[in-house]
Amino acid sequence: MIERWALVSGLRGDLETYELIQRDLKKTRGVTALFVLGDLVGPERNCDALLDRLRNPHRGDLKPDCIYGWWEEQLLAERGFRGERKADALRLSQGEDTVSALLNTVNPSHLKWLASLQFGFIELDCALIHGSSSDVGDNLTAETSPLILLDRLTRLNVNRLFTARSTKQFHLELTGGGINSQVKDLNGKREQQQEVPKRSVIGIGAGLNYTLYDIGSDKTHFLTAGSKTNPKGKGFA
Amino acid sequence: MHHAIISCLHANLPAVEAVLNDIDKQGIDTITCLGDLVGYGPQPNEVVELIRKRGIATCQGCWDEDIIDGLNACECSYPSQLAERRGHLAHQWTDDQLTDENKCFLASLPTSLRRDRLLFVHGSPNSQHEYLLPDMDAFAALERVETAGADILFCGHTHQPYVRELRDGSIRVRLQSAEHGNDQGEELTLPMRKIVNAGSVGEPRHGSTNATYVIHNDATDEVEIKEVAYDVARTCQAIIEAGLPKVFAWRLSHGFEFAEQAEDASHVCER
Ligand SMILES: [Zn+2]
Ligand SMILES: [Zn+2]
Repeated sequence: MIERWALVSGLRGDLETYELIQRDLKKTRGVTALFVLGDLVGPERNCDALLDRLRNPHRGDLKPDCIYGWWEEQLLAERGFRGERKADALRLSQGEDTVSALLNTVNPSHLKWLASLQFGFIELDCALIHGSSSDVGDNLTAETSPLILLDRLTRLNVNRLFTARSTKQFHLELTGGGINSQVKDLNGKREQQQEVPKRSVIGIGAGLNYTLYDIGSDKTHFLTAGSKTNPKGKGFA
Repeated sequence: MHHAIISCLHANLPAVEAVLNDIDKQGIDTITCLGDLVGYGPQPNEVVELIRKRGIATCQGCWDEDIIDGLNACECSYPSQLAERRGHLAHQWTDDQLTDENKCFLASLPTSLRRDRLLFVHGSPNSQHEYLLPDMDAFAALERVETAGADILFCGHTHQPYVRELRDGSIRVRLQSAEHGNDQGEELTLPMRKIVNAGSVGEPRHGSTNATYVIHNDATDEVEIKEVAYDVARTCQAIIEAGLPKVFAWRLSHGFEFAEQAEDASHVCER
């Protein structure tokens, strides 16, 4: 039997999108878990209805497991949940208006729950994080240097890192290579050889674009909610 | 041109004097210091003042940072709870001793210095608290140098001097994306890079009591690790007289052979 995960991010308060994804998943075989990798909130629309739904799933909903993302980090920082740090990154990139817009989209009654969300999940040999363990805002894409991608995998010591920050859908596999190193110290010299481990970084997309991951076969399927695409049709070996 | 790199002086004046003397004797006049002027040792003001007087270019170490910011580092900076308690004691003592002027000087230090393709940091380009150990994952080590845009990275913080050359690296990848479908795959050739750890002047942990530092030849990129004997007993005496934890004196007189090591050296405190 197939066992697959659904990976979603970047809903940013959009309940309609979330409902479309739930509808899709109901028709998909074998989905055992739904991970929402952050950016549940955003400055564009009121987020309370989506947050209510995530916290209190409807009957028939696949129960979501949520972590926080970049937008939650900005909101929580601005609301005083991150010590002295405020929403500096948001303020710098999008200005004061966006900061106040963000504050207005989330009822304070949700803050405690948002603050209780974890930074990431480790499931089997996979890490599920909004950015990477280096930073919630770490923007990993298929164009990111493989050296950096390998570093992010090494930091977590996992074989697969599912990331969402870039909003892109990609599956980049490290398939080979190596490096030589020589260390000289007061005891002499020693040579080391190291091979590139077979590991992957997977961008899961955002909003309507979500990803299915088949655990047994290590296959990813990049999907768009509401479109007619069959999960099998867009599979990647 | 030869230049000298020193690190982790740790308020050990006899060791600093001996090393500067050794450098002077060789006619080297460019010296770069990678921080940790204070902490553990008994002469914080004297060491800071000597570095200021000599006008030695210095970046900020983990101890220098913590003295300024208060103990920002979380427990992960210490290999054990015992080490943490001793660290806190030494922190408090150093904080009490240091003059405001010397604290201001430590606060003014940059976290990195760059000269062309050479980058100087205390721990790693990411953090003053990150350990770049000699046998850490070679790709992760290369990533630190490469992301910082340097050819040679000079660091300290581990108190163990070494020179590591990373070469003949490559990574093959295969990409599948929603936009482009399946990709044939490509190979990235990695550049040759070096990490040079200057060891420690004032609190060596390489198995001998000698102070260590390094000399780099700009023209050939050759690096020599230097060992300098100094009056260890004088520093140990001063540690005990200052009322600092005796174990610091014991460690200096044993070259820290039984050092507690950070278990997860790759861990970077996020705070
Ligand atoms: Zn040090
Ligand atoms: Zn240090």
